[in-house]
Amino acid sequence: MAVLFVLPALAIYGLFVLYPLAMSLWGSFFTWKGLRMLDFAGLSNFARLFVFPSSARLTGALWHNVIWFFGIMVFQNCVGLLFAWLLFLRDQGKGNGGAAFFQSLFFFPAVLSPVIVGALWRLLLAPGGVVEWALNGLGLHEGSLTVLGNSQTALLMLVAVDAWNWMGLPVLIYTAGLRQISGQIFEAAKLDGAGSGRMLVSVALPLLMPAIGTLTTLSFINTFNQFDIVYVMQGVQGNPSYSTDTLVTYFYRLAFGAEGAVGITDIGLALALGTMLFLVLSIGTLLMLRFFDRRTVQL
Amino acid sequence: MQTRLARLPGWTVLALWSAAVLLPLYILVVSCFKTTAEIYENRLGLPQSWSLDNFTNAWTRADLGQNFINSLIVTGGAVVLTIVVSALAAYPLSRYKLGWNGIMLGLFLSGIMLPIRLASVELFTLMRNLDLLDSLTGLILVYSAIRIPFAVFIFANFMRVLPSELDEAARMDGAGETRILFQIILPMVKPAVSIVAIFTAIAVWNDFFFPLIFIFDDRYKTVPLAISVFVGQFRTDWGLVFASLAISMAPILIMYCSLARQIREGVGAGGGMK
Repeated sequence: MAVLFVLPALAIYGLFVLYPLAMSLWGSFFTWKGLRMLDFAGLSNFARLFVFPSSARLTGALWHNVIWFFGIMVFQNCVGLLFAWLLFLRDQGKGNGGAAFFQSLFFFPAVLSPVIVGALWRLLLAPGGVVEWALNGLGLHEGSLTVLGNSQTALLMLVAVDAWNWMGLPVLIYTAGLRQISGQIFEAAKLDGAGSGRMLVSVALPLLMPAIGTLTTLSFINTFNQFDIVYVMQGVQGNPSYSTDTLVTYFYRLAFGAEGAVGITDIGLALALGTMLFLVLSIGTLLMLRFFDRRTVQL
Repeated sequence: MQTRLARLPGWTVLALWSAAVLLPLYILVVSCFKTTAEIYENRLGLPQSWSLDNFTNAWTRADLGQNFINSLIVTGGAVVLTIVVSALAAYPLSRYKLGWNGIMLGLFLSGIMLPIRLASVELFTLMRNLDLLDSLTGLILVYSAIRIPFAVFIFANFMRVLPSELDEAARMDGAGETRILFQIILPMVKPAVSIVAIFTAIAVWNDFFFPLIFIFDDRYKTVPLAISVFVGQFRTDWGLVFASLAISMAPILIMYCSLARQIREGVGAGGGMK
């Protein structure tokens, strides 16, 4: 009886998630011809990943994901935390609260498809777009704005767009975290003469560790799965000259044939990359959860 | 707590970010009604006339209408399928003593964080063998599979705390298990149903990756996939692109405005997204 109830969910989940994932991990140890699995090849696919030209793509993409992750972390944990703190203070100050309004407004871009967000910012940041017009008008910039076509700035622009997209998440998670902290603790700190800034850093921050952990883990997973924004804004090659390439865009090119001039797929290489990325994500997530668990202050 | 003056900088910071969120969206909305020439001339102002040409062009000439219907079918189908099968699974796993509840729940839970995109090669082969490429049914099945772990987790958490007298009394009256689940238990966990429905709908409506690899025929493309094509294809027709962006975000905007509180609480509680 119980088995019959569990079966439909298990069948769908097993067939379309667990089975392909297990087969992908397994397949990374074989040679491939097109979409056909041939012979056992040990670690040779992995070895090929570290040989030029794949090694250059791999390190480039990995590096971009790492920069992306740290950029987002700095932004969310500084600006996001500051916003949450300001909203929390407004709620504490009673009367004119309004925190819910700002939370909802800040979170709105996060419910939009990254495709919409990417397309919108691509239009705004394009040469001749409204950002160029505004910067020229303010005298901050002259001539055509090419931040997306410049390999020095393109990646930073994407990180900024992603930060704009997800700003509401740290605000929501941190305000929820702050509300769980007992008001008496803040009262006591105030009696000891702590100002609002001091209270944030010395009192609230250590108690927010679980929230910081949740956010860091979510951002880590999101960042290392980054694909949509790059695809829509810079194309699947991570233009210009691979400067915005990420691990998943590289994986996509290897798996579905857009890597190199002729667009040949290399399934063995793709699966090896997928397996490595899977390990990075699972081990990274587990380490983070443990790291933040240990630092959680018990009261 | 603070003087009015000391609060001023905080106000400004929040207002600045509000502007950073609203301004791009405002530009999106007003640009929908402008011709491309007018977008260049008049950047921030209201359009000269509230012409709907861009919308009708996007809907018919670029065929966004068909994409919109496809997205609605896929989203609706995935939400219903996910809720039904997940509720079915969560009911015995959270309320019966089976001996294997723990392992099975663990198996489902492990799927919440799995990077399923990395399995897309094998998934592609599987879909091809099942003849589910270029098929909305195929997308519905894949999305349900991806969302089932989160849904089972939420349903199990909500169902576990209901008093056991509920189903026992119904069982005494001779009600079958299916009836107990759908007529007694599920109405008691309405918040769980709405959390699952909201977050599944957002995730499915917005997804771009799976249509990109599974859908080739224009007739079956979903909205995000179509938009990604428009951005390149209608590069010079900005009004049309802006209008198609507005159309594609409209359902999410309507849902967001009516359900903002549930979404805030759902995300704040544990990052229900993604």
